[in-house]
Amino acid sequence: MAALRQFLTLNAQILYWTFVAPFAGKPTVRIDAIFQQMVRIGVQAVPMAALTSLSIGLTLAMQGSHELARMGATSYVPDLLSITLLRELAPLLTGVVVIGRSGSAITAELGTMKVSEEIEALEVMSINPIRFLVAPRVIAMIIMLPCLVVFSNYIGFVGGWIICNFALDINTTKYIMRLIESADMMDLISGMTKSFVFGWLISVISCQSGLAVTGGAEGVGRSTTKSVVLCILVMLVVNAILTGMFFIIEGPKG
Amino acid sequence: MSETKRETVIEVRDLVRKFGSRTVLNGISFTVEKGDTMIIMGGSGCGKSTLLRHIIGSLRPTSGSIKIFGEETTTMSPQQMEKLRLRFGMNFQFGALLQSLTVGENVALPLIENSKVDPAIVDLVVKMKLELVGLTGFENLKPAEISGGMRKRVGLARAVALDPELLFSDEPTSGLDPIMTAVIDQLTMDLTQKLHMTAVVVTHDMASAFRIGTKMIVLGAGKRAGMIIAHGTPDDIRNSPDPEVQQFIRGEPDGPVPLKLAPEDYIDRLLGHDRDKGLSY
Ligand SMILES: Nc1ncnc2c1ncn2[C@@H]1O[C@H](COP(=O)(O)OP(=O)(O)OP(=O)(O)O)[C@@H](O)[C@H]1O
Ligand SMILES: [Mg+2]
Repeated sequence: MAALRQFLTLNAQILYWTFVAPFAGKPTVRIDAIFQQMVRIGVQAVPMAALTSLSIGLTLAMQGSHELARMGATSYVPDLLSITLLRELAPLLTGVVVIGRSGSAITAELGTMKVSEEIEALEVMSINPIRFLVAPRVIAMIIMLPCLVVFSNYIGFVGGWIICNFALDINTTKYIMRLIESADMMDLISGMTKSFVFGWLISVISCQSGLAVTGGAEGVGRSTTKSVVLCILVMLVVNAILTGMFFIIEGPKG
Repeated sequence: MSETKRETVIEVRDLVRKFGSRTVLNGISFTVEKGDTMIIMGGSGCGKSTLLRHIIGSLRPTSGSIKIFGEETTTMSPQQMEKLRLRFGMNFQFGALLQSLTVGENVALPLIENSKVDPAIVDLVVKMKLELVGLTGFENLKPAEISGGMRKRVGLARAVALDPELLFSDEPTSGLDPIMTAVIDQLTMDLTQKLHMTAVVVTHDMASAFRIGTKMIVLGAGKRAGMIIAHGTPDDIRNSPDPEVQQFIRGEPDGPVPLKLAPEDYIDRLLGHDRDKGLSY
């Protein structure tokens, strides 16, 4: 459980550099570095997130209409979409996209810096690697993952709309009305909470795995694979826990 | 050289470092005074870089003490270490430049992060430091776009960016042509003689070692691995009675450090008779 202790220490250090250091007259996390990472993690992931959520919106609507048609309830397709997308699929699938695109890149990048002595060089220059490298990435991901999820929600709904409008008997107005009616605040809150938590976990785990690399280029590859697997696993487990928590808070939905 | 007592900048006492069961540093003791250029010599893989890593605080020794500017570093907190490190510059054996930044940004990094100078002045200092190492006009290239020798020189420029009191340089001239070697040697001498900087330089280049060194240590191999086998001024080393030291500074292939094993040993090793598992890849 040394890894867990490291994870907690790393979190404490990130919190220190983000929230305490600026008031203690210490050097701060650089804003331009955060923006740079936001572009890499968020903006550049937009096409992939869009394609993923469009596909999932289309699939959900098609599968849902099959099942619901048997009960003569195809008009509930938008309801199905809004709950599953907002609460579960948008955060999870966007998480997977970000793990694949950015989590792995972060681990590989920091790992390469570790084995090529760049991290050591930073330390010798009295530049704290947590402040300089880790904090901008973590902050950027915690901000950008929720943004991507909001975006994915919309694109997913577009996917659903394509099916509803062209294959089912639900026109645009009706589709939008049903979406608005069926989704409540808790759906959004639950999805957004998840995306914040995922952003935090993915970024910190990826950074930690990168900093822990030993053993040259081979070590970088090994750590990157392990880190991606760990991120996905942790995300799925935490997702179940969070869904459980919201289930308890709200009670079974009526 | 005046014989007045100078301030001790580095004091290493009985430094021992083991990696697993291997003892890489075995009871190293020496001191470096202000204005000295201490040369560390020894065969490849004998632990020179490891010794530097201990002095700059990247590694902690198994036992022993290291004092820099009179402060014990082996037990120092990371915060204290961070402060002390503002007074050093380190030039890594392989440059250790940040690949994501340009050459200019690399040299500017310590200035931007650790001093509150104006961006215009940072630019100026970067140009000056790159000029010192003969790299004017290369500011905008990435480390991947320059040669190995150039990378090392950028590393040196970065190490001296903040005009440190203490400079560590790990093989600053290996892979450089003779003219560039002389330029870098001259730079080190200027820094120590004119600015009273103290330098610790690892080098394999005997000509350059005897040109710039005011003190030297030689690390041993074989039975004396990880120990200092000679210690003193360049003249002491040149006149050292130790045959291993003589072999080293003359660069002879055979001597106390054997070129090849005896034929029986060679065959045994090759076939793995003296090991349990033999060779394994
Ligand atoms: N992190 C480590 N773990 C295990 N062994 C190490 C480690 N770092 C160094 N060593 C061992 O310590 C020895 C000395 O290595 P070091 O890099 O200090 O040699 P060196 O004298 O600088 O050699 P060169 O002149 O080739 O640069 C080597 O045999 C190496 O295997
Ligand atoms: Mg070395």
